[in-house]
Amino acid sequence: MIEVLNAGRWTTIQDRGRSGREHFGIPPGGAADWFAAAAANRLVGNHPDAALLECTVAGPSLRFDSDVHVAVTGARAAGIETWVPQVATAGSTLEVGAIGPGLRTYVAVRGGIDVPVVLGSRSFCQRGAFGGGFGRPLAAGDRLVEAALVDGEPLSSSWPAGHRLSIGSPWEVRVIGGPHSDAFDRGTLERLTAVACRVSPELDRMGMRLATPSLRMQAHEIITVPMPAGAIQVTPAGELIVSLADHPTTGGYPVIATVITADLPLLAQARPGDTVRFREADLAEADRAWRRLAGWLEMDT
Amino acid sequence: MWQVAAAGDRALLVTISRTIDPAVLGEVLALDRAILDRRPPGLISTVTAYGSLLCHYDPAVSDGARLAGEIRTFEGRLDATVPTGSVVDVPTRYDGPDLTDVAAKINLRAAEVIELHAGREYLVYCVGFAPGFTYCGTLDDRLALPRRASPRTRVPAGSVGIAGPQTGIYAVESPGGWNLIGRTDMRLFDPAADPPARFKPGDRLRFVPVE
Repeated sequence: MIEVLNAGRWTTIQDRGRSGREHFGIPPGGAADWFAAAAANRLVGNHPDAALLECTVAGPSLRFDSDVHVAVTGARAAGIETWVPQVATAGSTLEVGAIGPGLRTYVAVRGGIDVPVVLGSRSFCQRGAFGGGFGRPLAAGDRLVEAALVDGEPLSSSWPAGHRLSIGSPWEVRVIGGPHSDAFDRGTLERLTAVACRVSPELDRMGMRLATPSLRMQAHEIITVPMPAGAIQVTPAGELIVSLADHPTTGGYPVIATVITADLPLLAQARPGDTVRFREADLAEADRAWRRLAGWLEMDT
Repeated sequence: MWQVAAAGDRALLVTISRTIDPAVLGEVLALDRAILDRRPPGLISTVTAYGSLLCHYDPAVSDGARLAGEIRTFEGRLDATVPTGSVVDVPTRYDGPDLTDVAAKINLRAAEVIELHAGREYLVYCVGFAPGFTYCGTLDDRLALPRRASPRTRVPAGSVGIAGPQTGIYAVESPGGWNLIGRTDMRLFDPAADPPARFKPGDRLRFVPVE
């Protein structure tokens, strides 16, 4: 059992998400930085479906009542070692402090967090106020129970430094053009990829806004369409809205480009004020990038 | 001609038409059924909205070009009909915070707005944006108004709104920019129910005024 002494700024229970329910308006959800979350589960020998904690800005304090293997990955957090397998001993407290550079830190415990599967996942869905055990972010006084979703032994050494994503601004994020390329003037994507975009303060798990001060983009209007994570919508004011894990399943602004799956973890770590540069890639490069991360995780491809 | 375009590295967006039209919705839903029946290799799931369909796929199993080719084989060969299901009554209290404003903007009395809104059947074109949010169309032309200049940060579940040619029901509390004219107690989203959303595209509904 794990007692939440202090919940941190915004700590939620997440797993790999609930795909395939977007036609009900339900976002796919799951860990925003899917790579760091998967690595945390690998470090403690968990099954890839095990649920863990996603901590934002400032992490929680957790007291353990028995010896448990834990791993902390993603963005660095004050006062704690990241990307190493460790054991939290009975009666000890794990304090995940201020997070940064980067925005999100993951805490996996051996076996995963035992909360009910709702609509195919243990992830908390903010918009629907369900999942994640409590239907809300963690609060002080919550008690978490370890599950038994293991898949091997905990790793015995730290995660290789060369097998992590480099966390910090400026972020270079690769995109596939479209699907609404024809809603923009010719050359708009080339102009977008030539400028630095700035992450706006309005940011959550649903999406992030980016300002493009030096760029004028004029888009034609579209009727509501379904959108995947990573879709970059352009508002009439020329601001960008990028879909993240808990994104609205449909959108009403044209999508100039879509972030590749392998680079979604980078956007998940970008903080307000950070610089993002988009770069156009093709599907072959997107596939190679994904296989590279999957290889680091030793996932089946 | 359908447009099939990459929506990132794991999805294709099929655009059949950029119009709000019952026949187009019928074609989109027929395509959705056809794809789900055929289950081409690599297909994960589909999402529809108005005149388009998003197809999620696993690029390790099928590349996008092959899947796009399979989707295109359905073009011109679908038995697409305008949806005609039974009409569901949505009991609605017409006491929304924007009702008076809406009436003033179109030079009608509130009672006339209610009469126009409740006076026809609507087709569900999309369930999306937020869990269970139900997009319906189309409104009487006289009710077509732009969204509110500044969206509300909290719109309660069950709120009935209008925006442009559409009317919709907020199934869960969320931010929103539609003009709110009423509210229903009908539960449109329940994570414990199967299916979790009360409506699906192609359903028909009618707003019934209640006190």
